[in-house]
Amino acid sequence: MSNLELGFWSFPVLLIMVFMRAPIGLSMLLCGFAGWYFAMGGNPNVLLNKLKSETYSQFSSYSLSIIPMFLLMGQFATLSGMSTALFKAAESFLGHRRGGVAMASVGACAGFGAICGSSLATAATMSKVALPELRRYGYSGGFSTATLAAGGTLGILIPPSVILVIYAILTEQNIAKLFLAAFIPGILAAVGYMLTISIYVRLYPKSAGTRPPQPMSERWAALGKTWPVLMIFGLVVGGIYLGWFTPTEGSAIGAAGTGLVALLSGSLNWSVFRDSLFGTARTTAMIFFIVLGAGFYNSFLALSGVPQYMADWVLAQGYSPWFVLSIILVFYLIFGCLMDSLSMILLTVPIFFPVISAMDFGMSPEHVAIWFGILVLIVVEVGLITPPVGMNLFIINAMDRETPMSETYKAVMFFVGSDIIRVIILVMFPAITLFLLPA
Amino acid sequence: MIHRAIRTLAQATAIMGGLVLVALILLMTLSIIGRSLNKLLHSDLAAQWIAGPSQWLLDLGIGEVQGSYELLEAGVAFAIFSFFPICQLYGAHATVDIFTSRLPARLNRGIVAFWEVVLTAALILISWRLYEGMQRYIGNGETTFFLQFPVWWSYSASFVASVVICIVALYCAVMRVGESLSGRALLPTA
Amino acid sequence: QEVTLRLHQFLPPQANVPKLVLDVWADSVEEDSGGRIKVERYPSMQLGGKPPELMDQAIDGIADIVWTVVGYTPGRYPSTEVFELPFMMTNARAVSRAYWEMFETHMKDTEFKDVHILGTWVHGPGLIHANKEIRKPSDMEGLKIRGGSRLANALLEKVGATPVGMPVPAVPEGLSKGVIDGTTIPWEVTAALKIPELVENHTEFTGNALYVLTFVLAMNKDRYESLPDDLKKVIDDNSGVEFSVFAGGTQADSDGPARQAAADRGNNIVTLNAEETAEWKAVAEPIYAEWVAEMDEKGIDGQALIDEARMLIEKYTE
Ligand code: NA
Ligand code: NA
Repeated sequence: MSNLELGFWSFPVLLIMVFMRAPIGLSMLLCGFAGWYFAMGGNPNVLLNKLKSETYSQFSSYSLSIIPMFLLMGQFATLSGMSTALFKAAESFLGHRRGGVAMASVGACAGFGAICGSSLATAATMSKVALPELRRYGYSGGFSTATLAAGGTLGILIPPSVILVIYAILTEQNIAKLFLAAFIPGILAAVGYMLTISIYVRLYPKSAGTRPPQPMSERWAALGKTWPVLMIFGLVVGGIYLGWFTPTEGSAIGAAGTGLVALLSGSLNWSVFRDSLFGTARTTAMIFFIVLGAGFYNSFLALSGVPQYMADWVLAQGYSPWFVLSIILVFYLIFGCLMDSLSMILLTVPIFFPVISAMDFGMSPEHVAIWFGILVLIVVEVGLITPPVGMNLFIINAMDRETPMSETYKAVMFFVGSDIIRVIILVMFPAITLFLLPA
Repeated sequence: MIHRAIRTLAQATAIMGGLVLVALILLMTLSIIGRSLNKLLHSDLAAQWIAGPSQWLLDLGIGEVQGSYELLEAGVAFAIFSFFPICQLYGAHATVDIFTSRLPARLNRGIVAFWEVVLTAALILISWRLYEGMQRYIGNGETTFFLQFPVWWSYSASFVASVVICIVALYCAVMRVGESLSGRALLPTA
Repeated sequence: QEVTLRLHQFLPPQANVPKLVLDVWADSVEEDSGGRIKVERYPSMQLGGKPPELMDQAIDGIADIVWTVVGYTPGRYPSTEVFELPFMMTNARAVSRAYWEMFETHMKDTEFKDVHILGTWVHGPGLIHANKEIRKPSDMEGLKIRGGSRLANALLEKVGATPVGMPVPAVPEGLSKGVIDGTTIPWEVTAALKIPELVENHTEFTGNALYVLTFVLAMNKDRYESLPDDLKKVIDDNSGVEFSVFAGGTQADSDGPARQAAADRGNNIVTLNAEETAEWKAVAEPIYAEWVAEMDEKGIDGQALIDEARMLIEKYTE
């Protein structure tokens, strides 16, 4: 069998393993092992030698060290009560409107996303704060959980974002520029979700309650308590963009800053500190095992020549770039129903990116790379809330024991619809994504 | 009894890694503060108004922590290796269970046990090769670029953590097989 | 074809060395073998790992051939550093020729015994690019400069600058945001990094260059030995001293257009005369003694290497 055939055969094998419930990182690692083994004519020496440095090399990465730091930052932010402060502020301004508490949850998610690099962490954290409140004001279980699941995706859409870091490394793009480009689409997402909420409560008036408005003084007081979030976001994202420090340094500053706020707020004792380390540890190890497996598998794919072959093949067909892009995005939407976003990015970007880079969208290669990155980011994030496998749906539904999964599924489809409309807009108008970038 | 020992081991290792991570965060933060101060003290304004004190501070060596990125790379590798045991213990690796979830529970436990055994084998293979990698660097005198400390130092720190990974993974594999045979949950999930 | 060789390196395919040196080499090998050898090219570390691991990848057979910067693995190939000493290099062709000669006599069976070396070369003269005019060593005082090599960093410390470690791709951002005040790099690389748009002052030296990096093109030893004699001959004919001089020369030839581009922008290119350069050499002098002492610890006669390198470079420099 030629290396190219080996490469193509590895796809079905990998998918079968994944769907047979093998850990995703393990599936990619084993396919990479097998690929290198057979490509070397059944000689295990190269494979064994490669493993001597592969693991350490993947884990000792300056750019990837952002990930544990942003995760720890999210943990500290939760401890220091920033999530509560954000929700209270948003709720005091919006809570009296119809669907207002849900809108406030989305707003708070957007705020928390600005200091947290992970969707799951944002969803879980904000749910702890907002879910009881939503239920208290008479919001239906399905609507409440769906709102928070969708709001959670803002954790990744609004910079800083772990997935964008991975994308930047895979495609050798500038992390700061990707963060900047994600900003407007992230805000659009939040606005889109709020619109969705207002439509939903008109269609299903019984799904939301109301409460009397709060005096303005209380609202401003609540808003005032969110200053640490604003300060840290400004420092981290602003500092990265202005070049005061690298994204890695920015993640360290952010973690140190939130840690300090948590310490000053008096909530950081040894036992919660320990728990935040454990939380960071579990997610970090989970991510890096996938990174390791994907790195190994991708080096085999490069060896097999599959990405180059695919890019050449697509070009030879003479399809319109926009058609190819649409197919790829639809592919992500479908696969997002089954797989988690990080695995998908690591698995597919090395194959799709060469295809997209080879096409002419009438923009500079860098702009295409950034725009494609943001589009991919959004469609894989939609995967977090599309039934049946949506990690955000699982996490939040598990926090609300009275709500059956089917109700969450039903309500979340409105938010998925809003996501799809936004993707179409961003595809049609690349300028929205690229607007903030320096020319 | 043994479960407690393994859990303590995994948690202690995660805390070690976490403390290293926190130390790196502080190092980076200090480095940036040092760099900013250094820039400020070198500025024309500082030279004009506080020339004496600013020179004194500069002579103290206020500035970026040189080679901090090498310490970061070595430290973060150790931290990540140290984070694996606790991930392993709680079965926190990402999986897709949409298709298997329709199968009977007993079969599911069998599948989980099977992959746990394969995963453990892979992790042991990784640790063994990491050991070989460390051996190579011990022999060849390679150092880092900036601080010029031997590369094998960082390898050996990571290797120690990977030994813990193997111990915890082996224990988990045995317990998962036990779960599939007895039909009872033996390992924690949260 | 009957033999496929995997060539792995860290730069993107359109960069100067892959395009003008490695592709030329690979095409020539393919052609001379009558199509019996195919060289598969893997740029940008596609086969995995980080650049410092390239040498081990060649030793281990993960790639059959690698191109790498020897200084990426500090401490492992100490003898090559003799060419990296400040103000040792004159021009890339002469130094590459001397490098190959000394490689054959001193390094082939010792430091490089685990690989089959196909070529040894250096890039064109390394010089200083900074946000202020640099004439005297004291002009460097307090500046934060990215140094290109271990020994370039040593020199920066001697002149009172702070060497900053950062990967080459990070240099433009570092310069534009003032994280560094300058960088040492050969002209050839400045075009891709847009250095002349970021800083306006460039300082060249007369006679000898500030610093230089040593490269090798290395092949897996067993792979080479396993080739039939006629294919070995194809590889041999394309490798060695002439290839090394070609590679170094070609890389240095790209300096000219890049320098012209900076001049066309109206940048301030300072070429220090022999007298001014001597001032810098005096500051760098202690580095030689320090290096000899370091080599002594490794059981290498550093002074003999310096003397021989100087003699050969002088001989080959027109
Ligand atoms: Na975020
Ligand atoms: Na999904």
